[in-house]
Amino acid sequence: MAMRPIFSALMRNKAGLALIVVQVAITLAVICNSLFIVLERSTRVGRPSGMDETGTFTIDSLGFAADYDVRDTIHADLARLRALPGVIDATSTNTTPLTNGGWSTGVTTEPGRGVDSSGVQPAAMYFMDEHGLDAFGVRLVEGRAFQAGDVREFNQNTRIQSSVAILTQALADVLFPDGGAVGRQIYGIANDNQPVTVIGIVERLQVPWVGWTDVEQSVLVPAIQIDGNFSRYLVRAEPGQRDALMPQVEKALQDGHSGRLVRRMRSIEEARTRVYRQDHAMMSILGGTMVAMLVITGLGIVGLTSFWVTRRMKQIGTRRALGALRGDIRSYFQTENALMIGFGILLGALLTYGFNAWLMQNFNTARLPWPYLPMGALAMAVLGQLAVLGPASRAASVTPALATRTA
Amino acid sequence: MLRMNQLSKVFRTHMIETHALRELSMHVREGEFVAVTGPSGSGKTTFLNIAGLLETFTAGEYHLDGVDVRGLNDDARSRLRNEKIGFIFQGFNLIPDLNLFDNVDVPLRYRGFKAPERRRRIEEALAKVGLASRMKHYPSELSGGQQQRVAIARALAGEPRLLLADEPTGNLDSLMARGVMELLESINEQGTTIVMVTHDHELAARAQRNVHIIDGQVSDLDDGPRLAAPRPAAAAANPAAAVNA
Ligand SMILES: Nc1ncnc2c1ncn2[C@@H]1O[C@H](COP(=O)(O)OP(=O)(O)OP(=O)(O)O)[C@@H](O)[C@H]1O
Ligand SMILES: [Mg+2]
Repeated sequence: MAMRPIFSALMRNKAGLALIVVQVAITLAVICNSLFIVLERSTRVGRPSGMDETGTFTIDSLGFAADYDVRDTIHADLARLRALPGVIDATSTNTTPLTNGGWSTGVTTEPGRGVDSSGVQPAAMYFMDEHGLDAFGVRLVEGRAFQAGDVREFNQNTRIQSSVAILTQALADVLFPDGGAVGRQIYGIANDNQPVTVIGIVERLQVPWVGWTDVEQSVLVPAIQIDGNFSRYLVRAEPGQRDALMPQVEKALQDGHSGRLVRRMRSIEEARTRVYRQDHAMMSILGGTMVAMLVITGLGIVGLTSFWVTRRMKQIGTRRALGALRGDIRSYFQTENALMIGFGILLGALLTYGFNAWLMQNFNTARLPWPYLPMGALAMAVLGQLAVLGPASRAASVTPALATRTA
Repeated sequence: MLRMNQLSKVFRTHMIETHALRELSMHVREGEFVAVTGPSGSGKTTFLNIAGLLETFTAGEYHLDGVDVRGLNDDARSRLRNEKIGFIFQGFNLIPDLNLFDNVDVPLRYRGFKAPERRRRIEEALAKVGLASRMKHYPSELSGGQQQRVAIARALAGEPRLLLADEPTGNLDSLMARGVMELLESINEQGTTIVMVTHDHELAARAQRNVHIIDGQVSDLDDGPRLAAPRPAAAAANPAAAVNA
């Protein structure tokens, strides 16, 4: 259509033009960056932990009685738990994924490499007994599970005594890029850098810290920590039984020994909710902001074009009198809108990357991948055309008689 | 050029019906300069709007340049209007955000002419009204008389067969009014049919024919052709009348 005169006329209405351009630019910058962050967070939040999240929960026990024997209690508790109907399995453990708390170490394939850090892989350590794999619900993809004979007790003085371990696939892949991890030896787990033999690989078990870069590098160690009268159990219920089982487990432990506190019973689902609460809040806020910006900008365009249509009634009537078709009038406003949005997008592109650079510097955000900008620009163009539809139709229905009927 | 037969126009608003035109019949021949006069509210603008296809009518017949306009849809009417009719309004109706060049360009773009053709026509039309040197000016930078000249240039640029003017001098002082009238006369002399509504009897007297509309009908008194009035002489001889207009 007739771009140039529309452009010229637009340039004579700079205040309105500036309003829309700035609004579109800011909206573009905000939605591109917000959407990027939201999608990034939703990927992070959506990562599987590798364990049976719906069926499992943990519960802690802390003995205070003078005659409290933590070793005896652990064995008695586990026997009691495993005997409860609805329990698939139970194990003692130090932590679970999604808790942001646990033990980490550096694992290598050669002894004595802890000094310089080359070839050392960060990994989380999970202690469990021979029921651990079943209790976590992780999937063994290679090798064998733990047996009763693999499990070693340890405390602060003895340190870890275990001689075998199971790796997650991710950790096995970085330690042994050529494969064949099962049967090989690793260092950095047991006391005094004793070699530990890899006996199996599980598909996946996230580290407890959701912010870790190598979030799937975990090592499973057959060990029970006997320290300070404290014990923690991971219980896995049969499908649908977890919520009914939790109070029963609590009672069974309390009944099993009265000289202790049974506390912090928490399902893994709850742990997930807790650990990602901020991410979810962030996603909601950003999502709400995006919707609000789009609505405000859309309404802003509707408002301004409506105002312009009203102000230009006589002009529209005159154009119609001079031979404009209804479609010519409609496309005038649509073209004008496209021009304004176009300028907004140009300015918005600068703002988008400026904003992104600022976020990168201050909030450790990643660089915005390029497809966001064209997608955002398209969204703004569509928004603009939708917003102008009503006012443009109203303009198109102005009667040409208005040319002579208005003063 | 323009033939209306028993034309009626009824405006219906709420409970009120206004009969703006009552079986009005009129015939304007090719090349005529007709002045339409009448009291306020008598239906002059309604007549002109229907003549210019800006409004539809309730009953009767209207042939514009041989075309029966009754069956035409909005787009067809717009195209016919664009091609055959030039409008001059009392309020000039220039587009304030466009310079003179772009203002005259408006109907030409709707016509679909190519850029060089449009430029030629715009420059020619603006030269004809003596404003070729001010193409880049905006309407607000011109006097009323100059604005009306631009509007005339805009009406002429499409080379219409029929020029319709509703009180073209109504917003101008007598001196500027005379200038505009002289321009219209010279346009008519070059063959364009003109129908002009006016309150100014002195100007009306300069047209070839006067049509008086009263209460939506052509009054019989002065319908029909008559001799061209002695134009410039009359205007110059009676400056007092011009000032009163
Ligand atoms: N859109 C409309 N709706 C209702 N009535 C209308 C409309 N337009 C005009 N009329 C009525 O039709 C009649 C004729 O109006 P018109 O404008 O044609 O008169 P006019 O002769 O041009 O008057 P003036 O000399 O004051 O311009 C008037 O009674 C007017 O009120
Ligand atoms: Mg009128």
